[in-house]
Amino acid sequence: MELKDVRKTYRKGPIEVPALRAINLRIAPGEFLAIAGASGSGKTTLLNIIGGLERADDGEVLVDGRDLQLLSSGELARVRLQRLGFIFQAYNLLPVLTALENAEFILLLQGVPVEQRKERVRKLFSEIGLAGLENRRPGELSGGQQQRVAVARAMVTNPALILADEPTAHLDSVTATALLDVMEQLNRAHGATFVYATHDPQVMERARRLIHLHDGQIESDVVQTGHVL
Amino acid sequence: MGALLLVKIGWRNLWRSPGGTLLTALALGLGLTFVLISLGLLDGSHEQMVRNRVRFGTGHVVIQAEGYQRTGSPELLLPAEVVSATETFLATDPMKRVSRGVSPRLLASGLLTSAANADGVRIMGVIPKDERAVSLIPQRIVEGSYLNDDQQSGVVIGAALARKLAVKVGGKVVLMIQAVQPPGKDATDAGRGEMKSALLRVSGIFRTGVQAIDAHIVQLPLSEAQSLLGAPDRITQVAVLLEWEGDSLKVAQGLRKQLAGVPAEIFSWREAMPSLAQIFLLEEAFNIVMNAVVLAMVGLGILNTILMRVLQRRFEFGLCLALGLRPRQLAVMVIGEALALTVISLALGLVLGLGVERYLATTGLDLRWFFQSSLPAALVFEPILYSSLSLTRIVSSVGIVFLTAIAISFYPALKAARTDLPGALKVF
Repeated sequence: MELKDVRKTYRKGPIEVPALRAINLRIAPGEFLAIAGASGSGKTTLLNIIGGLERADDGEVLVDGRDLQLLSSGELARVRLQRLGFIFQAYNLLPVLTALENAEFILLLQGVPVEQRKERVRKLFSEIGLAGLENRRPGELSGGQQQRVAVARAMVTNPALILADEPTAHLDSVTATALLDVMEQLNRAHGATFVYATHDPQVMERARRLIHLHDGQIESDVVQTGHVL
Repeated sequence: MGALLLVKIGWRNLWRSPGGTLLTALALGLGLTFVLISLGLLDGSHEQMVRNRVRFGTGHVVIQAEGYQRTGSPELLLPAEVVSATETFLATDPMKRVSRGVSPRLLASGLLTSAANADGVRIMGVIPKDERAVSLIPQRIVEGSYLNDDQQSGVVIGAALARKLAVKVGGKVVLMIQAVQPPGKDATDAGRGEMKSALLRVSGIFRTGVQAIDAHIVQLPLSEAQSLLGAPDRITQVAVLLEWEGDSLKVAQGLRKQLAGVPAEIFSWREAMPSLAQIFLLEEAFNIVMNAVVLAMVGLGILNTILMRVLQRRFEFGLCLALGLRPRQLAVMVIGEALALTVISLALGLVLGLGVERYLATTGLDLRWFFQSSLPAALVFEPILYSSLSLTRIVSSVGIVFLTAIAISFYPALKAARTDLPGALKVF
């Protein structure tokens, strides 16, 4: 995954707000990377562009060598379905589906046979402590459990990259730590690449690579000590 | 791929607010109920009206000498063999079940005189037994009795005419008539144009409620009328009564083939009574407008419900798109939801509509309270309306409501498919 000279400016009438200015970034497989910065620094915009949810004004966004900027919206949807996983801040799940149905949603869209779907979801649920909660609807799960179901949904297709936009923003510190434990465990066990945005210093500490954004520019990009790459 | 999941999501979304869904379904179902009831009563009243009007008039199908419909000339007559040819045709296998009666008639104008007064009348020479099977006049006798086949000098007259002539049952009247020249006779035949008269005894008085009939129609035995008119073995028309009005065209077409060599014109009641057919067309058009209004309300109900649900779930749609769902699939999901709501509504509408229709078809809608004291003794229509709803009407009504609902759901589906992706995910 590579971003080359990516720029994005939001326009509202005559007012122009630069969100990203000349971002250059390379993400290697298996990374556990946090993008930090104050509110308005461009974290969500960067994640949206990496995830093909939004197009940059300029630059290249390369996933597996393909420039997302050049793809049609249908092709982008296909890339999101096949190669990327998403975790949002909250309201991540479809309220009318059970935890299991939410987790297998993407597999179903991919056309994976029912037995394989169930098996993969159950295995993952048991790995991240959701066993027994398969038939509960989101409204019957705690915030932490809901976010773990979202992690399972993002992980279950073995995507090239999992993008999480402040996944712990609405969780208490204990639940947030537990969620990061799960993400880190999946990163180590399965080699899944995680890129998450946060402004919480405690969550930043958990990343092996930390990028600080300020006014749409990369202020720092460091590999954190105490972590083994 | 995943279409079942999309329908499942649509279905479950409906039950996120079951009260709202049921209320909407009930409102839409009541729309269909209204359509079914109004169509049933309209068709039922038409059937009743046709049944009554054709039985006071020409029957469902009428055979007349060519040109009679246009000119009404009493000289345009048919040979009596037309009756047997008609009966032979109606006795054939496919027609046997559709026919109820055949009545030959000789029609003319004349002057009816009593001791007190005189008035112009429309004369109908009939065979009493056959006329009983076709016409309602024999059933509307209010004094005396109808003609019988042995009686040669009897006459039945309308109540209004009886009042004007101041005659009662058993009273004597004189019928004056100008003889005609039936086809085949020489123009110089003696008797042509000659005034003939007969002394008749009033055997019965009828009241139909139709002023034109009660004040002007007199019925007497066919042989007597033929003798007076100087047209033995001749008739003006053959009235055919059928079991069901819908067979009129089919029977008329069959008779046209059967009587191809006879200079006759054969009409269904719609052709013979164009003004009545036009009234029905007008009513049908009005009913279409009414039902279009109901359909528009049903459509707006579905549009409102589905659109509100779509607007409330912007984030969900954004989430689905982010996860890789295509806009087209989102649209399918919304249409699936509208489809499910429509099916529930139609089921409710059918249960309610057919239930009420069944009641109105058996017990009827009693309108006597509306007429109260102004209700005449004999009516041209029944004061109790019975519903009559054909399967075609039910299927077409359900089909139209269904298609309207689905067509209307395309707008919210399009709205969902056009969800602005990064924008929809911004909830904080």
